[in-house]
Amino acid sequence: MTPPLIDTIDYREQSPAVKDRFDRMKERPVVLSVENLGKTFPTPTGEVAALKGVDFEVYRREFMCVIGPSGCGKSTLIRILAGLETESSGQVLLDGNPVAGPGPDRGMVFQSYTLFPWLTVKENVMFGPKMEGKSGSAVEGEARQWIDMVGLSRFENSYPHQLSGGMKQRVAIARALANRPRILLMDEPFGALDAQTRAQMQSYLLQIWRNLDITILFITHDLDEAVFLADRILVLKANPGEVDEIIEVSVPRPRRLDQAITPEFVATKHRINQLIHPESETEEDTLPFGRMTVEGDDVE
Amino acid sequence: MSILRHQKATNKEPWFAVRRDLSAKRASILSVISFALPLAIWAGVSYLPFLWHPDVRLQLSADRGDVTTVYIAGDRVSKGYFPTFTDAVRKQNAAIEAQLKSADPLAGVSERSVRRSNKNILRHLAPVLVSNGRIKDDQKKEDALIYEVWRDIAEGTWLPESPALSDENLAIVQRNWAAMSAVSKTYDSDNFISVPLISLIPQGRSANPDYLPSPDQVATAGIKILTEPAEGDRPSMLQRTGHSIRIVFGGFLLAAAVGIPIGVLCGTYSVFSKLVEPFTDFFRYMPAPTFSTLLVAIFLANDAPKIALVFVGTFFQLVLVVSNTTRRLDLPLLEAAQTLGANQWQLVTKVVIPGILPNLYNDLRILLGWAWTWLVIAELIGVKSGLTEFIETQGRFRNFDMVYPVIILIGLIGFFTDQILALLRGVIFPYSEEAAAASANPLIKALLFIPRWFKDAVEQRLPPEPATTNSTSH
Ligand SMILES: Nc1ncnc2c1ncn2[C@@H]1O[C@H](COP(=O)(O)OP(=O)(O)OP(=O)(O)O)[C@@H](O)[C@H]1O
Ligand SMILES: [Mg+2]
Repeated sequence: MTPPLIDTIDYREQSPAVKDRFDRMKERPVVLSVENLGKTFPTPTGEVAALKGVDFEVYRREFMCVIGPSGCGKSTLIRILAGLETESSGQVLLDGNPVAGPGPDRGMVFQSYTLFPWLTVKENVMFGPKMEGKSGSAVEGEARQWIDMVGLSRFENSYPHQLSGGMKQRVAIARALANRPRILLMDEPFGALDAQTRAQMQSYLLQIWRNLDITILFITHDLDEAVFLADRILVLKANPGEVDEIIEVSVPRPRRLDQAITPEFVATKHRINQLIHPESETEEDTLPFGRMTVEGDDVE
Repeated sequence: MSILRHQKATNKEPWFAVRRDLSAKRASILSVISFALPLAIWAGVSYLPFLWHPDVRLQLSADRGDVTTVYIAGDRVSKGYFPTFTDAVRKQNAAIEAQLKSADPLAGVSERSVRRSNKNILRHLAPVLVSNGRIKDDQKKEDALIYEVWRDIAEGTWLPESPALSDENLAIVQRNWAAMSAVSKTYDSDNFISVPLISLIPQGRSANPDYLPSPDQVATAGIKILTEPAEGDRPSMLQRTGHSIRIVFGGFLLAAAVGIPIGVLCGTYSVFSKLVEPFTDFFRYMPAPTFSTLLVAIFLANDAPKIALVFVGTFFQLVLVVSNTTRRLDLPLLEAAQTLGANQWQLVTKVVIPGILPNLYNDLRILLGWAWTWLVIAELIGVKSGLTEFIETQGRFRNFDMVYPVIILIGLIGFFTDQILALLRGVIFPYSEEAAAASANPLIKALLFIPRWFKDAVEQRLPPEPATTNSTSH
C-alpha cells in the first residue's frame, strides 16, 4: 500500500455533530434491506458471477452512494433493486416486503436519457400518475410543482429534444419523484454531463433531497461525487461484486463545494481510492511505453 | 457572370466537402438539375439527329419483288439496311428498263399483274401527299386523285415540300407520267397502263426506334389521353387512375391494418416473434405474382384478387419491417416506463406505439412504394384493368408515345404522395427533429394554408376569391 503523499486524518474520525447525525439516522426505520444478494449471468463461456453475498441496509432519508471499479456489478445491483433484473440468490426487502418486478415505489433515473420524446416535459412528469389512473387538473398542478422544483417551469411545454442533457436529467428526476417513490435509484445519472453541469446537478440534487422525505441510492464511479453527496458510501469490489466496506462520510452537512479540500473530504476520498485501486497501476515506471520523442523535444 | 462571382464571394463553403450538407439554395439548385438533366438527355437524343438515331423512318416506301417483307411509309428500318433497300429498288428499276429495251418487253408477264403493281407504285406517293396536305388521310386509295397529283408534279405545277421528293424521284415521276399520260391523261381503271412502271426510290429521315418517342410526342399523346372522355366501356384516364389508386390503397391499407398489430406484438413479445416470424420470413420469398392464378380462383373476377395480390405482396414484408422497427425502440424507455408503474397493456399502448410511430410512418411510406410495384402485376391478373391495362394494350400496338405518359403518371402519383407524406411527418410528429425544419418549409405552409383558407371562405360565406379571403383573413 502506497503511503499518502500528504498527511491526512483518519477517515473514520467524526466530529460530535456528524456522529450525532449518524446516530439519529440509524434510529430511523430501514427502507431498503438487501440480504445476501447474488447474481450470476449465463454466458456462452459459462456462468459469470456479477454479485455475491451483498448485504446492506438503507435508512429512511439516507443518501447512500455505491462506488466501485468498472464492471463490478453496480448497474446489476441497482437493476435488481428496481426489479428490472431478477436476483439469483438472496432477497431485497422494501419496507420489509420482498420486491418482485418493477414498480412505482422505486423510482429510477438512468444514465442514458429516457424521457419519452413524444411527450412534453409536463406530460413526461405526469406519466407515472397517469399510469396509476389519476388524471385531471390536480395531477397537472402537482406536475407543475415538480417541474418548478427542478427549475424548469419555462420549459414545461417543450419537447425533450429541445432540452440540454442536464435539463433532461432534471426532468427525469422530477418524473421519478412525481410517483412519490419510497426510494430513488440513480445509476450514474450525471455520467454523461460535462464537469460544470455535473457540479450544478449535484447541488440541485442535494437541495431536492433536503426538502423532501426521500431516500436515495446513487451509483457513481466518481470519488468526489460520492463523497460530496453521500451519508454513507458502499464500496463494491469486482469479480465477483462483493461489499468491500461501507464508509460513513465524516464531512459535515450542509455540503458546499469548497469542502472538497477539507481534511475529512480528502481522507475519505483517499480511503476509497485505496479500496478501488489497491496497488497503483498508473505509476510512470509501470507504463509499457518507451520514450517516443524526437530530437529537439523539450521533455524531462 | 457578375451574379456568379458575387455568390462565390459570399458563399465560401466548398461544393465538395465530405458528409457536409449544402446550403438550402445549392441543394434546391441541384434538385432542379437532377430532374432537368435526364430531360435534357432525352430531348438531346430525340432532337439532335447526330445523337444515336439508329433507324430510318420511311416517308416513302417501295415494294421489293425479291423479298416478302413489306415496308410502308412510317415504318422504321435500320440505317444499315436502308441502302440495301434503296439499291435493291434501283436494281429492280434497271432490270425493268433493260427489259423494256429488249426485243420482246412483255414476254411472260401477265397484263393484270403489271397493272396491279403499277397501281401500287402510283399509291406509294400517297403518304408524301398526306404529309404535304395535298390529300386527306382517308384518300390514300383514291387513284383518280393521286393520278392528278402525279401529273401536277411531273408538269411542275405542284411540288411536295415536306417532305420534298429527291431529284431522283422527281425524274422517276416524270418518266412514269410520260408513260402513263401516253395511255390516258386522266385516271381510267379500264384503260390503265399495262407497261411496267418503275418504282419510286424509298426516302426517309433518321429516327430513333419507336420505343423512344420524343418529349413532344409524349407530351402530345399525354394531353390527348388525359383529356379523352370515357367512351362506352372504355374508361377515361382519370377513372383508370382512380381505379388503380383504389387497388393500391385497398391492398396496402388492408395489409397495414392486419400487419401493424401483428408486427408490434412480434417486436414487443418474443412469444409472438418466434411464433410468427419464421413462417413469415419463409413466405415472403414466395413471389406474390406466383399466387395470381390462385387468387383469381379464390376471389373470382373484379378487383378482389387484385387487392389480394397487393395485400400478399405487402403484408409479409410489412410484418417483418414493423416488428424490426418495434424492436429498435430504445429498451431503456420501456424500462423507465416500467419503473414508473406502467403495466403490460400501458407499455404497449402508451410507450411502444407512440415510440415507434415516427419510424413506422417512414416504413409505411417505403412499403407504399412497393405496393405500387405490385399494382402492375395485380392489374394484369383476371380481367385486366386500370392504368396497366392501357399500357398493355397500347404497348402491344407499339403506341409507345401513349405508354410513356402513363408510366410517368404512375411515377408522379407515387412520388408526390411520398413527398407530401415526408413533409407532413414533421407536422404530425411535432417532437421529431425534422419538425422545426418542416414548419419552416414553404410547401408545408402552403399545404396548411389551403384548409384554413377553405374554412375562412366557407365561414364567411364569401365566394372563394383569393382577393376577398385575403382581406378577411388578416
Ligand atoms: N446481461 C448480462 N449478461 C452477461 N453478463 C452481464 C450482463 N450484464 C452484466 N454482465 C456482467 O456483469 C458484470 C457487472 O456488470 P455491471 O454492468 O453491473 O457493471 P458496472 O459496475 O455497472 O460497470 P460500469 O461501471 O462499467 O457501469 C460485468 O462483468 C458484466 O460483464
Ligand atoms: Mg453501470
